Amino acid sequence: MKRVLVIAAAEWRYWLRSRLAQGGALLITALLVATTVLTTLRMQSETAERTQHQAKAETAFLTQPDRHPHRMVHYGHYVFRTPAPLALFDPGLDPVTGQSIFLEGHRQNTAMFAASGASADLGGLSWLSPAMVYQLFAPLLVILLGHGLVAREREAATLATLLAQGTPGRVVLAGKALALLSFVVVLLLPLALGAGFAVLNGEQLLAAGALMIAYLLYLVIWGALALLASAFIRNRAAVLATLATLWIALTLVLPAVAVSSAANAAPMAGKLEDDLAMLTELRKLGDGHNANDPAFAQLRADLLAKHGVQRVEDLPVNLRGVVAQASEQKLTDTLNSYAGARMAAETRQAAALSVYGWLTPLLAVAEASRAVSGTDLTHHHRFLREAEDLRYAFVQGLNQIHAEKLAYADDIRRSSDPAAERRTRVDAANWQLLERFRFQPDAAGSRLQQARPQWLMLGVWSTLLMMAGFWLGGRLKP
Amino acid sequence: MARQVKLQAEQLRVLRGGREVLSGVSFEVAGGEVYGLLGGNGAGKSTTLSTFLGFLPASGGRVIVNTRDVGSDVAAARRAMAYLPEAASMYEHLDARENLHYFLQLVGVGRGESEIDAALDRVSLAGEARGIKLRGYSKGMRQKVAIALAILRDTDILLLDEPTSGLDPTAIDEFHDLVRGLADAGKAILMVTHDVYGACQVADRIGLLRGGKLVDQFAAPAGGRIETETVHRAFSAKTNP
Repeated sequence: MKRVLVIAAAEWRYWLRSRLAQGGALLITALLVATTVLTTLRMQSETAERTQHQAKAETAFLTQPDRHPHRMVHYGHYVFRTPAPLALFDPGLDPVTGQSIFLEGHRQNTAMFAASGASADLGGLSWLSPAMVYQLFAPLLVILLGHGLVAREREAATLATLLAQGTPGRVVLAGKALALLSFVVVLLLPLALGAGFAVLNGEQLLAAGALMIAYLLYLVIWGALALLASAFIRNRAAVLATLATLWIALTLVLPAVAVSSAANAAPMAGKLEDDLAMLTELRKLGDGHNANDPAFAQLRADLLAKHGVQRVEDLPVNLRGVVAQASEQKLTDTLNSYAGARMAAETRQAAALSVYGWLTPLLAVAEASRAVSGTDLTHHHRFLREAEDLRYAFVQGLNQIHAEKLAYADDIRRSSDPAAERRTRVDAANWQLLERFRFQPDAAGSRLQQARPQWLMLGVWSTLLMMAGFWLGGRLKP
Repeated sequence: MARQVKLQAEQLRVLRGGREVLSGVSFEVAGGEVYGLLGGNGAGKSTTLSTFLGFLPASGGRVIVNTRDVGSDVAAARRAMAYLPEAASMYEHLDARENLHYFLQLVGVGRGESEIDAALDRVSLAGEARGIKLRGYSKGMRQKVAIALAILRDTDILLLDEPTSGLDPTAIDEFHDLVRGLADAGKAILMVTHDVYGACQVADRIGLLRGGKLVDQFAAPAGGRIETETVHRAFSAKTNP
């Protein structure tokens, strides 16, 4: 072990004297500071915007005067998703999927207020997050330092001296690996600071630790690739060229191919097609605003029979409100079936994409990072479902008030009779039924569980490469 | 008293890429002896060294270091030898003392500053040069540091690969004196070279390699040197038939 430490320390001395480590650390620090500042500014701006909109939306909704409850159904309300603390490091899907939804009756709106609302961000460059710096650029630094670990010694023939004096090849590789591992740990310090900041802001320690382990494994994989190439290929320039090609393949080409392949493997209907099909189905459900719509004739008959009356005016409930409730329920079932199918298709695509993590560790770490940060597809879907639950509850709450507190006779005359119109206004205190929406990321344990395939992928990659290093170390030649 | 054999090649045969690069080579080097393995380019000199170091496996025959087959315990063989490649290979970003400390640490040999300075004195490396990084050294100065390492490791055996190639005449003389001194102190030294004159200056025995075969051997008379003219004639005849 002592010899391993001696070799690792010597490597650090070389890096420091050749200014490689300082240059690398400076570069990654600059990138991380830049992306952290950009992400923080963007998130602060979003938070300010969100808080302002939320307050405005709540105030606007809650301060509405006495009104007919169905007008409030159409008045609608915004809900906002507060990002998890680790989203500062990895915004994941949030900039693409949006973080707010307008809730209103008879519709399921899509999430909006995506971060790249500004036209200045035509190329999506503002999406360069600290996570992407770690995923894309940190491997380059590992390659920069790692490519020469053995090849440099081979070219200078110092490897021959080391081996010839009885230093085992495995000890040489272990020392080099330890040096690179310690550099990776240094690279992870900014992430550790960010994770610590997230913990101070309410993130669970387990999630913050898991995020660090995910990136540690990812960079260990790149370190092992660099070390193996350096040990296996005789020429240093060829090592660098090989690793650069590998970086392009694993971080740029394969992920793009994987996305395209996953889209083909689990095809989804376009939104326009979906919307048209859904509208056709919704039309068949009848018009919930019209209690005389034939689609609700059976409901009317059942209701009259249930209460033993002949006229709807004699019912103890307002037929219009009951129809609105029934209509909303059927409509929501249809909307949910489409939303569910779309989410299932997205999940199938994500699953098809995640398999490519066996081919490129970038996809494995990216998915693990999003899952642990609470910014993955699962969280987005839960946000949509919870927002929909809230929408349904608030619309049906208003419909219930409509059914129970408004007289049918007044309701049908309110357009022509100002007195009846006044009586159909319910007290504004009823608007308080709107619950405050608070989206919380899953518990850290669930998030880690969600990324179970990715942990396995990263673990298998690391283990296989370490085994390859052990094998190669026993056959190391000058 | 007979000197103990430290290095031995027995009917050594090496195949590389299906081609026989060493064929039935046999010789031995005893303690206190300098054996010069002479030959032209591609004769198999460096291959012979590589088999002693365990970098190349013997396809036939065997190589023995300190009575043990290299194939059975490469690590022990390597620990028993000090190896000087053609370009004395040490770290350019370190000075002489740092290089020596590093290599000694790796073989678990603890040496103090005074011992290191004594070794550097012995190889005549000027005091003011010792704090300079090796990138500022001439080849001769690097060879001196490499020899100092061998002295400090105090191994019984030295393997030298074209050690005087590229050195100026003064440096070559100094180097030969050093090698001779080490042999006189009991070290077994195997020196591969294509320098006929240098080999005759320092070697007790010379083996002439050609096409992977040991075609001639010469021994110095008691108290004398191997005659350069004889070896040169044989070398020229064999390498330029």
